[in-house]
Amino acid sequence: MNPAISPDIAAQLIALFAVLMLVVQLLLVVQRMLLTSIRLFAIQSVFLAGIAAVVAYFHGAFHVYVVVALTLVGKVVFLPWLLDRQVRRMNIIQEIEPLVNFPTSMLICGGLTLLGYLVARPFTSLERLGNNTLAVAITLVLTGFFLMINRRKAITQVLALLTVENGVMLAAVALTTYGMPLVVELGIFFDVLVAVMILGILVYRIRETFASMDVSKLSQLKG
Amino acid sequence: MHGTDLSLLTPLLAVPAAAGLACLVARARRTMAAIGVLAFGGTLLLGGRLLQQVVAGGAVTEWGGFLRADALSAWMVVLISTVSLATSLYAGRYFQRELAAGAVTPGRVREFFVLTPAFATGMFLVVLANSLGVMWAAVEATALSSVLLVALYNRRTSLEGAWKYVMLGSVGLALALLGTVFVYAAACKNNAQPLPSFNWSYLQTVAPQLDPRLVRLAFVFVLVGYGTKAGLAPMHTWLPDAHSEAPSPTSAMLSGVSLKVALYALLRFHILTTACLGSAYSCHLLLGLGLLSMFLAVPFILVQRNLKRMLAYSSLEHVGLICVGIGLNTPLTIAGALLHMGYHALTKPVLFFAAGNIQQSYHTLELRLIGPGVVKTLPVTVLFMGLAAVAATGLPPFGLFLSELLVISGGFAAGQTAVSVLVLVALIACFCGILTQLTRILPGPSRPGRQHDGGSWDGVPAMGLLMGGLLLFSVWLPRPLLAVLQDAAVIVGGNP
Repeated sequence: MNPAISPDIAAQLIALFAVLMLVVQLLLVVQRMLLTSIRLFAIQSVFLAGIAAVVAYFHGAFHVYVVVALTLVGKVVFLPWLLDRQVRRMNIIQEIEPLVNFPTSMLICGGLTLLGYLVARPFTSLERLGNNTLAVAITLVLTGFFLMINRRKAITQVLALLTVENGVMLAAVALTTYGMPLVVELGIFFDVLVAVMILGILVYRIRETFASMDVSKLSQLKG
Repeated sequence: MHGTDLSLLTPLLAVPAAAGLACLVARARRTMAAIGVLAFGGTLLLGGRLLQQVVAGGAVTEWGGFLRADALSAWMVVLISTVSLATSLYAGRYFQRELAAGAVTPGRVREFFVLTPAFATGMFLVVLANSLGVMWAAVEATALSSVLLVALYNRRTSLEGAWKYVMLGSVGLALALLGTVFVYAAACKNNAQPLPSFNWSYLQTVAPQLDPRLVRLAFVFVLVGYGTKAGLAPMHTWLPDAHSEAPSPTSAMLSGVSLKVALYALLRFHILTTACLGSAYSCHLLLGLGLLSMFLAVPFILVQRNLKRMLAYSSLEHVGLICVGIGLNTPLTIAGALLHMGYHALTKPVLFFAAGNIQQSYHTLELRLIGPGVVKTLPVTVLFMGLAAVAATGLPPFGLFLSELLVISGGFAAGQTAVSVLVLVALIACFCGILTQLTRILPGPSRPGRQHDGGSWDGVPAMGLLMGGLLLFSVWLPRPLLAVLQDAAVIVGGNP
């Protein structure tokens, strides 16, 4: 336990970062430019790394610093760079009209946030650092799923999946004192990297074959 | 305990991984096929040894407990090895014909021979990993390595199948990860210290002290998550698409073992939940989803127009039956369910191999276009397909009859009459469905003007191996296998 920082300040910092993650998520829901969406995801990951850094500093836990470094390298720099390059190479700038328009999307996400707080409420009584972030974590997962359903560009679906993953990682920080064991964090990290690369390959092939990245055109297999 | 001994579990992971790497640099397709056969022959032998060791001395651990195999894991290791071996045996000849027909490029064939061992390594890691987190990462690795296999042909439909598979799979696995996190949180509630380990072997010993509310929530997430990967209804929608669009050897792996490996991951959480909350909660959920899967499969089999999609729906039915057997939670039904996993792993690949032969000769999977009289063009394939279909529908003398009987009679004995009757109805409906569909295409006079381009002995080694095994183990179960099944049933049942 590190005495240089009081638990009170640490808890407030974590709550602040968590709320910022949620704000970024809502911006993502109403964002149409693909490159901006990728940047928003990078910003959200910075806040996730910030939360992990506060936890690591407060508990003096070495292995959580590794998680911070991995998040910064992987989710803030590498994955956004990878997606950015792909979007530029395919020369697609804008998402087509989502299935549900933006004001309605915002309302639905507001509802999902309420739902997240309702689900998390029974578990927020436990005394632990950053415990109040569980509601945000569940909301991130729910709105991530909504984003995935609502958009038709393959790249946006990949981004939505990544925000869901951010939500799960936030839940890990919110519910446990030190985060998950290092070997598990490493496994998750590399899986996410490989997943995005493979999704990238698939998106590329879909684009080549269908001359479009619109996944609603993938509708031949039925029954 | 074999804490420092690295002679059994480590090679099980190292051999297929090395085979995958060797295929990266191998020159000829023939060499790659041979490497696969050798590697999985080796893992089958290792699996046999593991089986004996587990029966004789209990759980085997390596790397200081990072890898751990009990009877349930050993049983899964044998299944994975067998199906992978048959797949490698079949794949060599299959891709020779695909290359000759210009359906794939040599680069794609290499992709297959590299990714298949990687897929198998992932599955071995799922069943051998002790940490629930590592198990999750391994399940994700199997999903990722099989996605490109599903998309191998790069057709519009195969890309669609692969995209649905990877998106649904990823959503499912994200939920499973959330469930895994909840279990971790349930274990370290009010604990200032980090948890000593996230191993299931440890968690089982402290199960009664886990936070019950979190465990309850966690099991739902894990059920939906791993249930997606296991193809349980209503999360099964990727299953027919991926199975029908993948090359036939991959369909065999997906259906033969990959579904069961995901089910294994679910079972580990089921065991934990049972130890924490009592058996009723997770058993009822498994029972419900199992029955739903069985009944959902029936109409799709009856009206199906695509051969491999029909086989995929039949897998859905079998996975449902396995879940029902575990959900009924009596020693008899659990043993029946585990036995059913094994018999199904021997049967379903044969059907997919035969479907692959038919596809290569007729260039379609539409039942209507294949038409009657396949027996005239591909007599050997039809013989195996007929036998496997009779086995898969649960007729004696094949083992699936025995395992289904165990589940149904166990249900009656446990007083679950309604469940048993429902299972019986679903099984009979599937029986009628599959046999009517196949009698439309297999027997009868051949269509005039139908050209057949040889290959009537294709895949016989692979199909012969599996059918021989099925026939043998239908009438005689060796003592170690029987002992391992009994031990595994006790582990799943949770009453040591």
